[in-house]
Amino acid sequence: MIERWALISGLKGDLDTYELIQKDLKKTPGNITLFVLGDMIGPEKNCNKLLHRLINPKSNDLQPWCIYGWWEEQILLESGYRGNQRAEALRINKGEEVVKSLINAVDKSFLDWIAALQFGFVELDCGLIHGSSKDVGDDLTLDTPPLTLLDRLTRLQVNRLFTARSTQQFHLELTEGILNSEVHDLTGNHKKEQKVPQKAVIGVGAGKNYTLYDVGTDNTQFVRAGYQSEKKKNGFGLHF
Amino acid sequence: MNQAVISCLHANLPAVEAVLKDIELQGITNITCLGDLVGYGPQPNEVIELIKEKKIATCQGCWDEDVVDGLDACDCSYPSQIAERRGHFAHQWTTEKLTKENKDFLANLPYSIRKDKCLFVHGSPNSQHEYLLPDMDAFAALERVENAKAEILFCGHTHQPYIRELANGSIAVKVKNSGSKDIQKKEMNLPMRRIVNAGSVGEPRHGGTKATYVVYNDITNDVKIREVEYDIELTCKAIINAGLPPIFAWRLKNGFEFAERAEDASHVCER
Repeated sequence: MIERWALISGLKGDLDTYELIQKDLKKTPGNITLFVLGDMIGPEKNCNKLLHRLINPKSNDLQPWCIYGWWEEQILLESGYRGNQRAEALRINKGEEVVKSLINAVDKSFLDWIAALQFGFVELDCGLIHGSSKDVGDDLTLDTPPLTLLDRLTRLQVNRLFTARSTQQFHLELTEGILNSEVHDLTGNHKKEQKVPQKAVIGVGAGKNYTLYDVGTDNTQFVRAGYQSEKKKNGFGLHF
Repeated sequence: MNQAVISCLHANLPAVEAVLKDIELQGITNITCLGDLVGYGPQPNEVIELIKEKKIATCQGCWDEDVVDGLDACDCSYPSQIAERRGHFAHQWTTEKLTKENKDFLANLPYSIRKDKCLFVHGSPNSQHEYLLPDMDAFAALERVENAKAEILFCGHTHQPYIRELANGSIAVKVKNSGSKDIQKKEMNLPMRRIVNAGSVGEPRHGGTKATYVVYNDITNDVKIREVEYDIELTCKAIINAGLPPIFAWRLKNGFEFAERAEDASHVCER
């Protein structure tokens, strides 16, 4: 049986999209593990039904493995779960109204569950994280300098880093890296050539856009939820 | 022109005086200090006052920050609980001894100093607590310099002096995105960069007992590590007389480094 990971993020309270993804995954061949890389909540809509469903999956749901994302971090900050800090970055960038909307979008009874979520998972040689190993808000994209991407991979000591913060879908491979290092200290000169084994950073998308990863073949597939049914209905579709 | 870079003075006045004299004998007037003026040693006020008197450009070290903020470095900085307790005791002792004026001086030190293509920091551009050890991953080391938009990064914190040149690097990037079936490929040459660690004036941990610092020539780009002898006995006596842990004196006397070295050099303190 093919082992696949489904990596989703940025649902922001959208239970309909989550149900659509669950429906998709039931039709997807293979033994699938579902990872939710944060931003389950957001300020735009009430998130309680989605949170309830993630915590109490239906009997035929794939069990979701969740970590916290940037929006979860903001509500935890604002609700006093991070000491004296508050969601100042959100307040400065989006304003007081958005902070209030976020607080109103999530029932307080869910906060302990959110606070208990992990920062990320390390599975096999892969890191699954909302932003990066540096910060939950680290926005890795195709334009991020390769050295920065390598640094984020190195910090976690992984060869693949799945990230969601940018909301983009991409698969960026770093190969054939080589760098000469010469250290001079009080004991003399020490030369070393360092090579980078093949490494990759994968943007998993957000909302209806999610990613399937074949663990055995290292293949990523970018998917839009409901695409199969749309394709049947409309006779066309997206090609990734 | 030659300039001197000193770091990690750690309240060791005889060592600081000896190093400043060595710098003066070479006719160098441009000196930059990478912080940790205090901590471990017995003369925190005297060292700060000497740095102020000489008008030496200084950035803030992790000890300077901790003493000001009333925070002890987290236990990740210590190899054992006993070392942590000693460190905390030294922190408390230093806090009590420092004058308000000198605390204010430490509080107002900048995190970094930039001079043209050179960046001067205590630990790394990311944090005063991050160790850039000579054997750290070369790509990660290059990232620290490059992201700081510097050509040469001067740091301290490890108490081990070294000059590291990172050169002839390249990396290939292959990109597949959701908007296209095509795979884009590009090869990038990485810039040559250097990391210079000034070692420690007041608490060497390189296996010897001499104070270390570096001399950089900004015309030829040459960097030399200097070792300076100082009156270790004088500092050791002052440590004992001050009631600080005797192991601090033993460490200076024997030149052993292991007492306070971080286990995980890549760890960044996130207190």
